[in-house]
Amino acid sequence: MEAKAERVGLWSSGAVVAVVLLLGVVAPFVAYDPAGAVDYDQQLVGPSAAHWFGTDGQGRDVALRLLKGIEAFFLPGLLAGLAATTLGALAGAVAGYAEGWVRSAVLGLMQLIDTLPRLVFIILVCTILNPSISLIAAVAAVLFVPNIATVVRRKVEALGSEDYILAHIAHGFRPTRILLYHIIWLQCRPLLIRQATYVFGYVLFVETALSYLGDYGVQEPTPSWGNMVAQTRELAGAAPWPWLFPALAIVITISGFLAFGNLLARHEEEALR
Amino acid sequence: MTTPLLEVDDLVIEFDTSAGRRRVVDGVSFGVSEGEVLGILGESGSGKTMSTLAVLGLVAGHPGVMGGSIRLFDGGAAVDLLADLERLIKRRGDKPARKNDRRWQRLVFRRMKPLWGRAMTAVFQNPRHSLDPLMTVGAQVEESVRLAEPALSKGEVTARAVDWLGRVQMSDPPRVHGSYAHELSGGMCQRAMIAVALARRPRLLIADEPTTGLDTTVRAEIVALFKELLADRGRSMLYISHDIREVLYLADRVIVMRHGRIVEEATAADLKAGVGRRDPYTASLLAAAELPTGQAGAA
Repeated sequence: MEAKAERVGLWSSGAVVAVVLLLGVVAPFVAYDPAGAVDYDQQLVGPSAAHWFGTDGQGRDVALRLLKGIEAFFLPGLLAGLAATTLGALAGAVAGYAEGWVRSAVLGLMQLIDTLPRLVFIILVCTILNPSISLIAAVAAVLFVPNIATVVRRKVEALGSEDYILAHIAHGFRPTRILLYHIIWLQCRPLLIRQATYVFGYVLFVETALSYLGDYGVQEPTPSWGNMVAQTRELAGAAPWPWLFPALAIVITISGFLAFGNLLARHEEEALR
Repeated sequence: MTTPLLEVDDLVIEFDTSAGRRRVVDGVSFGVSEGEVLGILGESGSGKTMSTLAVLGLVAGHPGVMGGSIRLFDGGAAVDLLADLERLIKRRGDKPARKNDRRWQRLVFRRMKPLWGRAMTAVFQNPRHSLDPLMTVGAQVEESVRLAEPALSKGEVTARAVDWLGRVQMSDPPRVHGSYAHELSGGMCQRAMIAVALARRPRLLIADEPTTGLDTTVRAEIVALFKELLADRGRSMLYISHDIREVLYLADRVIVMRHGRIVEEATAADLKAGVGRRDPYTASLLAAAELPTGQAGAA
């Protein structure tokens, strides 16, 4: 029963997405003083009713830091996903519809961006400019535009000679509406969903990577999932919970978002077949 | 006195193929008057579809339209879709540049934009592919209704769309309104397509082999629907088909095309009655349909 497995996957990954979104919305309203949370009487206490996920090396509640750590990537990730898909869809529409130098210019720019190695480029930008997660998200969004633009452009080009698009033109439907609604919105929505969740996952991944590496990510004592995992270096395996739970959170969130985007897109595509 | 709606004069369309340049439409002239149905009859490759695509400004390919004039009479004022064509072709020179093709296409686009849908629109063959697969049939009819009658409220637009679906004799208009193309039969798709086209209220409806690919009984139903819609009010139509019986049944006047040229032009009544001299090709078509062939042989 492939269909059933897919439905289970869609619902479980959807649940992950829903929980992350809910926590992401709630987190900013939870009061937390990162410096004041230090409690040296409570160092490395195991998971208990008082501390669900235990405490870390400085006696801070891991669960609470996990919750507050969402803030580090949540809004930047969402905005990056939105920006990348919007810009990508527009660039793809222009490249697929326009002709002559406009098309060449857009294609050239996309190719140029596409040649940049993503993580290296982000680190490079961080060394030059003042690193912040917003900057990282913005750069990540731009770096993903060519990917999205390419799939959208292919779709626009392929559909341009479809009978029903010709019929739309003959009926006098407005070209911008045909392009933006009939082609981009109706035809490209599944792949845009897929790409948006991918970019969101990537921002979380980059935040984690940079925080783990140390210099450019979120700095202690402000919590982020990346710098929580980084504590594994200091703890040297003394207690697993301070880094295990954030590591799990990262894996579950990224794979949950990717799976959800993929399955939702496939679900939409299949519904239309 | 009939008012002309469309006048095509000496239309020439060429395409570059691997075997060199091919002239697919070679000096074709025809016209449609207000309230008239002109039938274009011809086998595939005769240039009939290309001629109508040229009228719609939708010829794609290189070099495409190379000569002639297509005049549309839009409320008295004539618009020549091919004005300036000579100048552009001359600039193309012996080695036509794609750049000029694009310039030409932009020019046609600008001219056609106010005319598409309002002055004319088309029902193509292959109805299933002519409907947006991701939109309900109703939403597509509504899109036409909104463009034709912008003053209507949202509820009125829906009501009008359902009304149109009823007028093309859908059995259950409200249900069809919420259906997608893939949920409908080929015949129903073509009915839906006709509803989308008519809801746009074009002065001239172009039907390009609307029955091709449909079952025989469904074809008869679609042709009967056209007949009824034509009787309903004096609609003008360009009906393209390779089926002589369909054309004779619907059209007032008929032109027969072969190898990119018009070989015959006659009234449907004369053709049916076998009056006058017939081109051998027309005679063979009539004979195949077991109709009186008249006097075969070129005049």
